[in-house]
Amino acid sequence: MPPIIADAFTQDHHRCDHLLAAVETRLGDSDWSVISTAAETLIDAMNHHFAQEEESLFPALAQVLPMAEQPIDVMRGEHAQMRQLFAELGEAVAIRDQTACQGILETLHFLVQQHNHKEEGVLYPLADNALTGRAAEFATAIADV
Amino acid sequence: MKTAGLSLDQAPPIGVPFAFFLVAPLFAALAGGLLLWQGEAVLVSRWTPVALAVTHLLALGFLTQIMCGALLQMLPVLAGSPVPRVVAIGRATQMLLILGTLSLSAGFRWGGVIWLTTGAGALGLGLTILIVAVGMALWRAQGVRQTVIAMRLALAALTVTALLGLMLVAVLAGGSSLSGFAGWVDLHLGWGLLGWAGILIMGVGYQVVPMFHVTPSYPSWLMRWAAPLAAIGLLAATVLTATGRTDLAIRGMGLSAIIFVVFAAATLDRQHRRERPRLDVTLLYWRSAMLAAMLAALVWLTGGRAELTGVLLLVGVGVGLPSGMLFKIMPFLSWFHLQHRQVAMRRFSVRLPHMQSFIPETQARIQFGVYLVALGLLAAAAAWPGIGLTRPGGLALILASLLQSWLLLQCWSGFRRFRLNLD
Ligand SMILES: [Fe+2]
Ligand SMILES: [Fe+2]
Repeated sequence: MPPIIADAFTQDHHRCDHLLAAVETRLGDSDWSVISTAAETLIDAMNHHFAQEEESLFPALAQVLPMAEQPIDVMRGEHAQMRQLFAELGEAVAIRDQTACQGILETLHFLVQQHNHKEEGVLYPLADNALTGRAAEFATAIADV
Repeated sequence: MKTAGLSLDQAPPIGVPFAFFLVAPLFAALAGGLLLWQGEAVLVSRWTPVALAVTHLLALGFLTQIMCGALLQMLPVLAGSPVPRVVAIGRATQMLLILGTLSLSAGFRWGGVIWLTTGAGALGLGLTILIVAVGMALWRAQGVRQTVIAMRLALAALTVTALLGLMLVAVLAGGSSLSGFAGWVDLHLGWGLLGWAGILIMGVGYQVVPMFHVTPSYPSWLMRWAAPLAAIGLLAATVLTATGRTDLAIRGMGLSAIIFVVFAAATLDRQHRRERPRLDVTLLYWRSAMLAAMLAALVWLTGGRAELTGVLLLVGVGVGLPSGMLFKIMPFLSWFHLQHRQVAMRRFSVRLPHMQSFIPETQARIQFGVYLVALGLLAAAAAWPGIGLTRPGGLALILASLLQSWLLLQCWSGFRRFRLNLD
């Protein structure tokens, strides 16, 4: 199977990596309106990514491949953890706490990396195998930002 | 179908890798103790009994111990393949590794066939258990191809290193002679440092360097060729040594060394082009380790003192790189296990501490500073023997190791405190 889904979603992971690094870079200048915009851009991008997975890709995969349900549950659980970190990041930006922002971003970065590693290594290849006919559709949707 | 890599329960209990990580610094402190006690005698020649003891305390007690713990932890994550019966395997391997290293080092320092053979036996058994278990997991491993290949080669290199080590101990203990003994020792060293440590560092680096700091990935030609070529160089050196061409065997190892220099340069370049701006302790350790590796190769290829090469490789890379990684891996594992538990228990009311609060950055930086002093002093002591820097170097190594030990224990106790809150 050509890795259409894997490639498109992996690329979106990298887009989010760059956005997280951008927030960290902005944090160095202490211009809080710029930091706040960068943080919002990151959170929006990741929420868009989660939505594509949770509302579109994962349900489709679980339907044709029931055994994928358990790993999908794990992925959803980690999404929930990341959303909690988004909330904490929002609060830290609001009160302009640079140290807290750094800590949250570091933690978020590592949670994201190990999460993406599992999706890219196992879930997306599974999806490319199981959803051949519809792969292009998911790939287009994730790239549409 | 392969959903194996997705189950979080496949990661070993946190106590397994942590036991390796928490004990390892004590061996570096012990090595520092020998340096402090024996002073200039240690670095006069790589062949002195105490130099051999210090070498094995660092290479086995510190470096190999951490690499074993990291392998057991990382195989499910990086290669999608868990190690069977990981708790029992981990405990048995570690016990034998600790006993074997202490006994072997004592045997080197004080002589005594019984200590040498007991040490070699325990190490042989412990490493066999590890090699079989990890080998089984690697056999089935999927994951990123180049990393899996590098891990397999590293494990093969560990096997050869151990076999050569056993052979050398048999020669020493049996009082028999082996023609070209020094060449065989060099081969043992080459397989251990360039093969087991070097190739594993490359395989892990391919994944963690881009991941930790968001850097461009390594060039694909490098990832495809570096580890296999390094192994081929070592293999050639082995054949040449076995056929009595020790003079040429050095060239095989030279090939492996040059490959590692290329890897080090590529790593520094990737990290220079990173997107995450922060210069954290892990990055500082990577930099000092890569520079030490390049310097070691330079000293070796230009015929400098072997003792200096040894210090740069053992302390500069072998102690430095794992130290930097532990400062990242232990907080992350602590945090990750807690959050996993939080999800499982649905206890979202407890707010988890962030990664950095497990090991505060400022204190880690101080530790790095003390470590750098130790590395600098010991490198100078090895370069210019007799100027009296070995003892201060040993003392600095003790301080750096104890400080590291204290920081890692803080991380562990922080983890336990929060886990109690979640139960
Ligand atoms: Fe996801
Ligand atoms: Fe994803």
